[in-house]
Parts: sequence; structure tokens; C-alpha cells
Amino acid sequence: MTDRERTDGGTAAARSEIPFGLPTWVGAVAPLLLLGIVIAGFVVANPFAGLETGAAPPDITVTHTSLPNDETIVLHVTNNGPDPVTVSQVLVNEAYWDFTMYASGEETNTLDSMESGRIVVPYHWNEGWDIHTDIVLQDGATFGHTIPAPAVTPGLTGELIGLLAVIGLFVGVIPVALGMLWYPVMQRLSRRSLHGVLMFAIGVLAFLAFDAGFEAFELAAEMPSAYEGSLLVVLGIAGALLLIQAISKWQADTVSPLGLAYLVALSVGLHNLAEGLAIGSSIALGRVSLGAFLVIGFMIHNVTEGPAVVAPVADGTRPSLWHFSALGLIAGAPVILGGWIGSAAFSPMLGALFLAVGVGAILQVNWEIGRMVHERGSLGTTTNILAFVLGLAVMYATDLLVVL
Amino acid sequence: MTDERPENASEQGVGGGRPQARESAERPAGKREDAAELTESLTDRLVSMVKDDAAVSRRAVLGGLGLAGAGALGFSGPVTADGDHESTPSPHGSSGVAGEYQSTEFDPHSFLREFNTGTVTMENGQRVREFEFSASLEKIQIAPGIEFPAWTYNGQVPGPTIRAVEGEIIRITFSNGQKHPHTVHPHLKNVNPRMDGIPQNGPGVVEQGEEFVYEWKAQPAGCHFYHCHSMPLKEHIHRGLYGAMIVDPDPERVRNNPRDYVNYHGPMTDDLRQELVEEAKLRNHEHRADEVDEMVMVMNGFDTNFDGDNEVYAANTRAFAYGVADTEATEGEWTAGETIKPIQIQRDQRQRVYLVNAIEFDPINSFHTHSQFFDYYDHGTTLKPTHKKIDTIMQCQAQRGIIELDYGDHQPGLYMFHAHQSEFAELGWMSFFEVQA
Repeated sequence: MTDRERTDGGTAAARSEIPFGLPTWVGAVAPLLLLGIVIAGFVVANPFAGLETGAAPPDITVTHTSLPNDETIVLHVTNNGPDPVTVSQVLVNEAYWDFTMYASGEETNTLDSMESGRIVVPYHWNEGWDIHTDIVLQDGATFGHTIPAPAVTPGLTGELIGLLAVIGLFVGVIPVALGMLWYPVMQRLSRRSLHGVLMFAIGVLAFLAFDAGFEAFELAAEMPSAYEGSLLVVLGIAGALLLIQAISKWQADTVSPLGLAYLVALSVGLHNLAEGLAIGSSIALGRVSLGAFLVIGFMIHNVTEGPAVVAPVADGTRPSLWHFSALGLIAGAPVILGGWIGSAAFSPMLGALFLAVGVGAILQVNWEIGRMVHERGSLGTTTNILAFVLGLAVMYATDLLVVL
Repeated sequence: MTDERPENASEQGVGGGRPQARESAERPAGKREDAAELTESLTDRLVSMVKDDAAVSRRAVLGGLGLAGAGALGFSGPVTADGDHESTPSPHGSSGVAGEYQSTEFDPHSFLREFNTGTVTMENGQRVREFEFSASLEKIQIAPGIEFPAWTYNGQVPGPTIRAVEGEIIRITFSNGQKHPHTVHPHLKNVNPRMDGIPQNGPGVVEQGEEFVYEWKAQPAGCHFYHCHSMPLKEHIHRGLYGAMIVDPDPERVRNNPRDYVNYHGPMTDDLRQELVEEAKLRNHEHRADEVDEMVMVMNGFDTNFDGDNEVYAANTRAFAYGVADTEATEGEWTAGETIKPIQIQRDQRQRVYLVNAIEFDPINSFHTHSQFFDYYDHGTTLKPTHKKIDTIMQCQAQRGIIELDYGDHQPGLYMFHAHQSEFAELGWMSFFEVQA
């Protein structure tokens, strides 16, 4: 019995050698090669032919629509199914209507698996009156899509680019810059109060993470199902989080306060990029009249992002002023960029991906700020917890002003 | 542009694709007929080339050709002969279906004037008219590019229009080749419950591989209806098991029993009696019915996505088959297609439409003529109109009647008729008469 206890089940001996004395790389590739052979065997022999009881039901999604003028409806469609689908007819408000479909740059009625196309319907629609469309496939299956409160999609004109830049300036850059003006005050704060401010920043960012996360999953639901939108969002969140973590660990074990400030600016910037996308696409789709009230709402909402960005560098020497300009631009300017992208080529996938990456960045940054507070004092003080809750509450209250 | 039509037709074969060229308003009718003839001959040649191969059915060949043709031609979209995009589409778009019908297994234009009179024999001094019906599953085309798995009598929807003379025996040998049990239920005055074609009576339902011989007395004279009465009834009717049954009045019987044919209680004068007899002769295919342009229209619909609502409406199955292929709405111009074209009628001829409502899911259907008031004979059981001078008639499910139209003082041209449920019209039940001088 004592002999047996000394053994480890016989696995130790096999560790050092690949059978037949083959080099290690062959051992690494061999399973893949064998998999290839098995797959080839399936393709050739088709042993499960008896299981092919029928074709998968067709699945086609209208990812988005555009209305270039009041006499045209454009449906952007994607075939999610494994088989090609043929769009035989199109109904507009329960009436058959002439249409032309384009895919891969040519006129066609058939979409291959995962292929996207445009259905152009010449239809004189009424502004503000919902348009209900149905795509009728060869087997009579219908796929409906309603365009609520239709308005002309302006497209990306020079005028719109300028307008979006101005809006982005007011919604993103100016409020963040104004918020950063709290920096001198924050420098004079006691360490306890400063930690409170940092926790307030964590609350602000946490709210943004929830806000963006929910929105990302909402958009994911609009994506063609073949792309597994929800999992793409999960991948985006986890990937961004871990990527930033990996990069920040590259050189030092702990992030410097300035480095942390840049990380906060980056994550806020990613969030604002997604915000810009939403604004841009809403304008592009003619969904929103971006009145003064909405712009004011965004400014109040985003002004809280300023202190969040500079809070990590409040304790200690002031970095040079160009750092502040850079931080402000990184955090605020993406609204402009997002607006341009959103108005030119909005797709639920792009939106969901940007939002998810933003969430991942925020989570990582919150982890870093939390650690900074923890290392310099205590995380769970009454002040800190209340400040955190206050951050959430302020963001919730101001978020009510900016429902697109 | 008109010169290109026959060429296009030959390229298309039986396949689809849109009519490639717009035609002027005075398009020569001959060209179109030539094209149709050419298409027909090509079809026949191709079918005969492959018909020896038992594994290939005529339908498979035609379907394949249709798809191939459609693929080769890009199937849809306004394309001119040289492949360029059409430069001046109507700013308001064009209503109606895109493209043309690809399969030729059913032609609503020939069904329209197809009356099956069966085989007449005498048995003990009684005239018997025999028909053969078989139920089968068929893929039918109900709109360009849209197929529907239909349950059919003799491979078609609507089933064959059968026509008999009052007093005869209608004998239908019905065999069921389809997986579900079916029946044939007549809307006639049938005095033998065994012959009612319902699950609760006589032989009950006819199972796959079984056969039953229905015998009904052809009475009363009129425009009637037959359909499968298996349960679930909604499904058995809407999947396509129905058709029109016309019983022509017997002029001798009308002479002897004139009051059976009028809802009128005044004195029966000799003049009136003679008038009714003449009217009966004009209704009877063994007398003078050929002087009238007779048409059958079975109003039907198809639920293609199982939501209990029809996606396609039509007179005689195919959406817009009696419509125009192309409309230049801002110019008031139209173009006929190969499979989508108006019904041509002669101005100086009396027009008679046997109208049957076989719709499912919607309680009513209707028939409305533009610029025209017609006489309507509800159920066709009278020889004097039950409605005089109306332009819209409503029918509930299974209701039917005879419409008589006179375009004698109309200018030649296009006259629309359609269901005046606008929804039905825009989903396919919109048609035209092309009145010719």
C-alpha cells in the first residue's frame, strides 16, 4: 500500500515525450489534422443523410431602414438562415408594391446565407405616418418591419457634418471641460473628501456602465440573429476590460494617477462615442428634433464626467496644462466622431460593439480607482458609500433629461 | 421598344422575368400573341425533350426553367433590354406585384372561359353527366415568385368548373390521392343525405387511395359551388378544395314552370313566359349560351404565413393576373405583360360573369365595376335580376351569383373591376376588362 501512495497514477512518465519520438510541433498540430480528416470524411461520406428531414426555416432581418426622400423606402436586410432566400414580393401597408433589391452591387432577388442587401421601394409615404412593410419570401413566409414616425434621412452632407460637430462640442467637449474646472477645488480638499469625490466618480461611471450595457443588449436584439448579438456584447465588455488591464500591467504593477486619469478619459470617451453614435443616427434617421432642451440635458448630464476624469490626479502635484487639454479632448471629442459615424453608417452591430467596449473600459477604470482609494485609505466609509450612491443618483436624475 | 417583345419572350422561354420593354399605348396585339405562341411552342418542345425521363415531371421541368429563366434575367426590377436601369421610374412608385408568373401549370386566362361539361350518357331515360375528380397536393403559384402548397381537385385551384343542365344527374367519381381525408360537398338541392359529402353522412370522408361516386341531381338552375367538407373546414377550403358548378336552366322546364324562375307575383303573360324561355336558352350551353361571353370568377385568398389572414387575394387564384404588368401612373399609361394582362372583351357582346366567393378568414368579399352598372342574379337561380343596375355586389362566404354586363355604349379601353375591400384589391384582387370595339 505504501508503494501505491507514492505513485501519481502513472501520468508523470508520459510528460516528457511525444510518442514515436515526433517533434513537439507535430504533436501540437496532429489533433487539428485529424479533425480535418474527420470533417473531410463527413463531407465525402455524408453519414447523416438520413437525418436531413427538411430545410431550416428561412430567417431574414431588416437591420435598419433609410428614407432618402419622401418617395423612396430603403430596407436594409440580412439573411440569417443557413440557406439562400428569395425575396419574391414586398408589401407596403398591406399592398403589393414594386421594388428592386440590390446585393453585392447588383440587382438580385436572392440573398445567400449571411449576405446583406438593400430593398428599394418607390413609395410616396407621408411624414409622421408609420410605414408597415412586409417582405414575402418564395414560400409565402412574411417578415414585417414597421418604420415609426418616418422622416427623411438627410444623409451625410457637409451641413450635417458641421451641425454634428457643433452639437458634439456642446454635448461632449464643453461640459467635460467645465467639469474639469472643479480641479482646483478638488486639490484643496481633505483626503477624506477627495476620496468621496473619487467614489462619486465611480458612481457616475457605474451608472454609465449600466446605461450603456442595457442599451448594448437592446441593440444586440435588433442585430441579425446569425451574429449572436448578445454574445458579441459580452465579448466586447470582457475583451475591452481585459485588454486595458493587460496594457496597463505591461510596464508597471500599479497605474500612476495620471495614467489612471487617462484611462478614465478613455473610457468616458468610449461612452461618449456611443452617445455620439446614438445622436448621429437619431438625426440621420430623422427621429429627433435636437432642441435646445435636449442639448442642455446632455450638458448637465455630461458635466459630471469632468471631475471623474481629473479626480485621480487631484491628490499631489498638478500635471501640466496640456495634459488637461488632452484629457478633455479624449473624454469629450468622441461625441463628434460618433455623431459622424452614426449619421453616415449606423448599424445596430456597430452601436452595440462601441457600447460594449465602453462598458468594459468603465469597469476596468472603476476597478483601478477603487484600488487607489483602497490603498490610500478605506473604501467602505460612510462618506465613500454615500458619495457613490450620490454619483448614481445624479446621473439617473440628469439622464431623465436626455431620452432620445 | 415594341419590337423587342417577341425576342424577350423567346429568351425567357417559360421562365419569368419582367416584361423588358415598355410598350406604347397602341401596342400591336399581334406581337403579343406571337410571343405567347412562341413561348408555348418552346415550352412544348422542352417538355417533350425530357418527358421520357420518368423521374422528371412536366412541372419540375417548368419550375426549373422558370427559376433558371428568372435567375438568368435577374428576375426582377425594371431593366431595359440592354440591362441598364430604367431612368424614369414613376415618382410615386408602382403598386402591384413585382415581376411576372414563372410557372405555366395554371393559366387564369384560360380557366376564365373553361367549362367542363363531362360525358353525357342516358340511363333509363335519365341524362347522366359524368366527371372524374381526384384530390392531390400541388405547389401552385399565387403571386410572382410565391408558391403555395395547395390541396387541389384535379391539380388546380379553383377546381374545374363543371357545367350541367337542370334535371340531369351529376355523377362525380372522386378518388383521393392526398394524405388527408377529403370529400366533395355540393351546394345544390340534394335530397339524398348519403351524397352530401360530409364526414357525418354516407361514406364519410374519403381516405387516401379510396374512391367514392357522388350523384346529385342538377337543381336548381343557377351558379353554384362545391368544396371539401372535411374537418378542419377552414383549412380544407382555404388550401384550395373548391370550385364553381353551373346548372343551366332547361328552357322546356322554364316554359312549364315559369314562376320557379322569377320573384314576381303578377300575371304570367305569354310574352313574359316567352321572354323567360329565351333568357333560359341564352343561359344554356346546349342552346344559345355561346352568344354570350361567359366567364367564371372564383374569388379566393391564401394565407401564406399561417396567421389566419390572407396574404394574397385574387379572382381565380393568381394575384393581379387580370391586371396590367406596368403602370406609368403619372402618364396614365399601362402595359400588358405575358402572364399579367387584362381580360379582353368585345364591346358588342353581352358579358356574363359567374361569380363565386370562396374566400376564407374574411367574412365577405365583393365585386365592383368601374364606369358600369350591371344586373345581378343572386345564386343565379332566377331569370330576372335580383338586383338591377348596381355597380357593387357583396357576397358572404360561399355566396355566388351571375353578373351581366353591357359595354355596348362604352368607348374602347381599360375598365377596372375589383373587390371594393381596398385591402383585398391591393393584395391582388384587382382586375381589368379591356373593351375592344
